[in-house]
Amino acid sequence: MTRVDIPADLNSEDESGFVWTFLDEAHDPSVIRPGEVVVAGSPLTPAVCEVVDIVDKPTGTIVHLRVLPGTIEQYRRLLTRLGA
Amino acid sequence: MSDVREELRTRIREELAPANAAVVIRGGPDTLSPLRSHARRLNRLYMLDGEDVFGVSVFVVQDEIGPASERSILGSKLRSYPMIYRTTVGQLTTLGFEVLATFTSPHFTVVMPTLDRVDDLVNAFGRLLPNPYAEGPKEEP
Repeated sequence: MTRVDIPADLNSEDESGFVWTFLDEAHDPSVIRPGEVVVAGSPLTPAVCEVVDIVDKPTGTIVHLRVLPGTIEQYRRLLTRLGA
Repeated sequence: MSDVREELRTRIREELAPANAAVVIRGGPDTLSPLRSHARRLNRLYMLDGEDVFGVSVFVVQDEIGPASERSILGSKLRSYPMIYRTTVGQLTTLGFEVLATFTSPHFTVVMPTLDRVDDLVNAFGRLLPNPYAEGPKEEP
């Protein structure tokens, strides 16, 4: 199973049209920055996502995520081809 | 101390309720633990009519073509999910769940009367089915 950077329900959208979750659920919140590419979802349903923005709310800090094309396995193969 | 959560009622779209036969789709797989986490996350940010609200997100098929069609939902919103659950609005409401048109179409929220009903919700979603429009390499015909 894949360890995710930030747990999220990738079905879950808010008025922004993007997936949302709470920053304080991140494995390491410091890597969750706008523009950063992260793995979000759950270990059973991970996806590569772009952090769109971070919004402070009274109940916590919200992270908006854009699900990027491609599977985790495709990204792994790409990195292997690149020798990374 | 006042409740600082946002009111979900203000995010409900003014539209006709979907038909009982309308297809409800959710990317999976889900187990009880993550579903509870998702429902708690909603309740952390929102309340419904000033009360706790435990629910999970789904997409409801509302058209035969266009962004609210089943093919579009499976190939866009749920393209990262190789497996999906597929049920109907009627199946969910018969079991006591509320299906609210929240945020932007075709997004809906299935609201549980209490968090204890998560296991019933899992059963209501039924068995996992392959998403024919999931991304990833396609096998040669």
